[in-house]
Amino acid sequence: MTSGTSSVHRATTHRPDPGLVALGEVRTGLLQHSAAIPHQLAERILQLVPGERVRLSQRPIAHALSPELMAGVDCRLAAASGTHIDGTGTVLTRASITGGTVVQASARAVVGPARADHRLPWSHYMARPGMIETRGKIEVDDLAAGFIGQPTSSSALDLSALSRRMMDVIQGSSQLDHAPRMRTKRTRLRWTARTVTAEQPHGLVEFAIEDDVLRTLQLRTKIDRIAMVASLCENLALHDWLLSTLLELIEREQRGAPHAPQAVLRLRPAIDSLLHLWMPAAHIDESLHPVWEALERRAGFTRQWEQLRDRIRDQVTLSAVTLMSVVTEGSASE
Amino acid sequence: MESSFREATAEERVASVPLSHLSVELGHLYAEDISAGRDSLAAYFQRVAPWAAEARLTALARVSGQRRPRVSTCFLVDDYFARLGSPATIIPDLLETAADSGLHIDYLARESGCVDADQVPLAQLVEGHLVPDPAPNSTGLRPAVSEAGWLCNGQRSPVNGPSEAMRPVLPWAPAVENGRRRHSIFLDIELWDQTDGRRTWSCPFLAAVWQLLRLGLLRYQGRDVVVPKAWDHDTYPQEWDDLPAILQLSPRAAPFSAYRTFSILDGRFLPVEHAVRTILAQVAVEPLVLEQIVERSNGEGMRLAPEISSRIAYLFLPE
Amino acid sequence: MIILSTSDKGGTGRSVTSCNLAYRRALQGSDVAYLDFDFGSPTAGAILSVSGAERGTTSGAGLHHYLQDRVAEPEQIDVWSASEREGLRGRPMGAGRLVLVPGDQGGGEFPVGTEMVDRCIQLFLSMEAEFELVLVDLSAGRSQAADLILSATAARQLQAITVRWLVFHRWTRQHIIAASGLVFGERGLIEAGTERGHDRADLENSIRFVRTAVLDLSSPEMAGLRPPQAAWLQSCNRELQELATKTKLGRTTMLGSIPLDPVLQWREQLISDNDVVFSQIANPQTSQAYEDLAKRLVHDEAWMSL
Ligand SMILES: Nc1ncnc2c1ncn2[C@@H]1O[C@H](COP(=O)(O)OP(=O)(O)O)[C@@H](O)[C@H]1O
Ligand SMILES: [Mg+2]
Repeated sequence: MTSGTSSVHRATTHRPDPGLVALGEVRTGLLQHSAAIPHQLAERILQLVPGERVRLSQRPIAHALSPELMAGVDCRLAAASGTHIDGTGTVLTRASITGGTVVQASARAVVGPARADHRLPWSHYMARPGMIETRGKIEVDDLAAGFIGQPTSSSALDLSALSRRMMDVIQGSSQLDHAPRMRTKRTRLRWTARTVTAEQPHGLVEFAIEDDVLRTLQLRTKIDRIAMVASLCENLALHDWLLSTLLELIEREQRGAPHAPQAVLRLRPAIDSLLHLWMPAAHIDESLHPVWEALERRAGFTRQWEQLRDRIRDQVTLSAVTLMSVVTEGSASE
Repeated sequence: MESSFREATAEERVASVPLSHLSVELGHLYAEDISAGRDSLAAYFQRVAPWAAEARLTALARVSGQRRPRVSTCFLVDDYFARLGSPATIIPDLLETAADSGLHIDYLARESGCVDADQVPLAQLVEGHLVPDPAPNSTGLRPAVSEAGWLCNGQRSPVNGPSEAMRPVLPWAPAVENGRRRHSIFLDIELWDQTDGRRTWSCPFLAAVWQLLRLGLLRYQGRDVVVPKAWDHDTYPQEWDDLPAILQLSPRAAPFSAYRTFSILDGRFLPVEHAVRTILAQVAVEPLVLEQIVERSNGEGMRLAPEISSRIAYLFLPE
Repeated sequence: MIILSTSDKGGTGRSVTSCNLAYRRALQGSDVAYLDFDFGSPTAGAILSVSGAERGTTSGAGLHHYLQDRVAEPEQIDVWSASEREGLRGRPMGAGRLVLVPGDQGGGEFPVGTEMVDRCIQLFLSMEAEFELVLVDLSAGRSQAADLILSATAARQLQAITVRWLVFHRWTRQHIIAASGLVFGERGLIEAGTERGHDRADLENSIRFVRTAVLDLSSPEMAGLRPPQAAWLQSCNRELQELATKTKLGRTTMLGSIPLDPVLQWREQLISDNDVVFSQIANPQTSQAYEDLAKRLVHDEAWMSL
């Protein structure tokens, strides 16, 4: 019978399908604002779809997640082998703000073969949000490799453009003052997820730093939990960005006068706004924690972070002491 | 030890609304049809009656087994595009002439209710959920080509604008339908127009909102958008604005929204409904709502396809 | 900070000077991006000796394509690692990043629509978020590029960003008149900018002039001139000074003057300290002028209200 007004939680149970591959890109950057923004403002900025809620959590760290937007695509997909594969469907994009400070914008889609060999009416694709159906057979490994190696300028499915546009929308918001406390790079994480198979153990990960802004991650997991996998990738991208940003700031600080006590004061904004954001695997479904742990073992994110953090703290303490003594000496000699 | 932690504001939730198996629209009339008087209303319902017989509706509800289907009927009054006469006389006329043909109207809705209802800007809400049907080579690089206030099912004929210096000018090309079978049936729909900063939504756009309401697919901040208000008075106010968006006229009626809709309309509405289906094909319903309804129908032993358009049936009345 | 380089005429030395300023600023420790908006002839790649991008990039991801929405992201070339010149390769100690955002090879001027203005705003916002100095080399004259930039910089989102204009001109009658016209004249920067939403006084205050390839009459080379020659040059120079003052290009609005350099007369390139100290092919005055001007770009006193 019909029920009254109650709520349901998402509980879809598809069988993991080895013929599917999930593709995504996450962009991470510093929010273009002079201070960390409060939750309510983050909510207003992320209100991208009329009538849909921004999801807010306070613990263990303030996190605001926009509703998901859908975009239609009908195009070629990049394949490593160069095979011509066409697909039609929808891509999901969303944005988030963590700690009132870091913005992330992401785009993702699950790609799988269609039953029909021609394009179906658009209503068919709209009923399958975040799914792209290809005409003809696909090799998931070929598609995953093609996506990972896709050049910026290509005529294939462009998740990069979708995530960039989302990023630009948030960063261009009229609610922001566009006077950030420091200059930082935006990073991109391109990721793929293929289904776990008998030969390929669960959670197998390959993470790579391709250049100073591009990272890639290749996972094996259950595709039916793709929204959770996307969250995992966003979380990973966030931590990679924190680490890269801190390294960048240290490099810049040392570029001038490496030992001057004032120099280190330039690291204050970093200390104030970034250090407390380190919160690995926050808001990540428990079932995916092993993936994060595997990454930690190989890439050693937390180890490096802690080392950097300690170094900055030491320098700040040191320079505070030096400055103090400069001040006292100065006043004594007057 | 098992432990759990949750924050309600962090969860994705949507309300679940009461659903019938079938929502039957007994008609949709323009202001001039209504003001043509009782006799023409009576004639209209006589034309509708044979197509709305109970046995026929039961069959259309497609309920498995011996279950009694939940079927509700509704009627949409156009109080948006033209000023109508007073509800105090029109509603009783409608109900009585329908009853004379053996028809019963469970819910009466106002077309303005598809624009704003119970403080929810419905038309804007639906417009904000449009995802244009992508033309070939839509890679996501550019936002879908859009003309403010218009929606189409393909690619418009290219306009010869200025291009990069010294580059060839494009020749004329026809508009084409996406996913066409060799030949195109291209449709470009005006969603609204604007005069003096005031937006007027088009008839097909509001009719699309109406279908979505009847299918129980709209939510606002996760909540149900329009709840029909029971009307147990014998009289009606002088002004349409004093009525709720949707009136429930019979207390024991099955729920207003349904898994499927069936609309009996005058033949002249065919182009409007072609436009409605084209619009509906481009509306993104919240995935959670889509899933929820499919699951509930499965629970009732029905197989409901996820495509919205597959849930909509029409009968266009012969003259 | 965004610096917009423009000039009324081509061949003023705008691109060469701008590249040298970007280079000097990076050496002084700032992270610098050089955006090649000279749509008609994107030559920054050649001046910076970036191979494969001498006449714009061939990757398809240059600024032409970015602004026309044909690519999501413009290419960024790290000059310190991509430069073909031995002396430029490898980032020097204490230097900041030096990045070229090239134009596309074979790209021309194109019409400017509102979407393009939005793209330009997004580009400036993202560049500003990453670089301390964003130097934009525009096409000469009343170009589409200038139009685009005037519209973009009037946008609300860019109001927190410091935007400054450099107008380059040679030290001749024609050039002085033309540069003044470009700024103060009909359909000039100030008139067009005000139409596009800029505050007239603020815009006027954010514009400075740079004289290029100026013969230095006090330099030792001048000692070889015959007295009548020297006298003629002196009087000519005085006339030009007067003209400059009359056309609002005088001392107060001039940010710098770059001397005529023999190397630059023959080749468009960066003047490195190497060129001055070791090979001694370039004049120390030239590199010093770049060095000083690079500092003045970001020195607020030089940009105080007039
Ligand atoms: N200070 C200078 N002394 C001598 N020649 C110069 C100087 N600055 C630039 N040039 C030369 O002037 C010519 C035009 O310079 P360029 O930067 O290409 O001008 P624009 O960008 O204004 O068209 C080039 O050959 C360049 O090398
Ligand atoms: Mg030039």
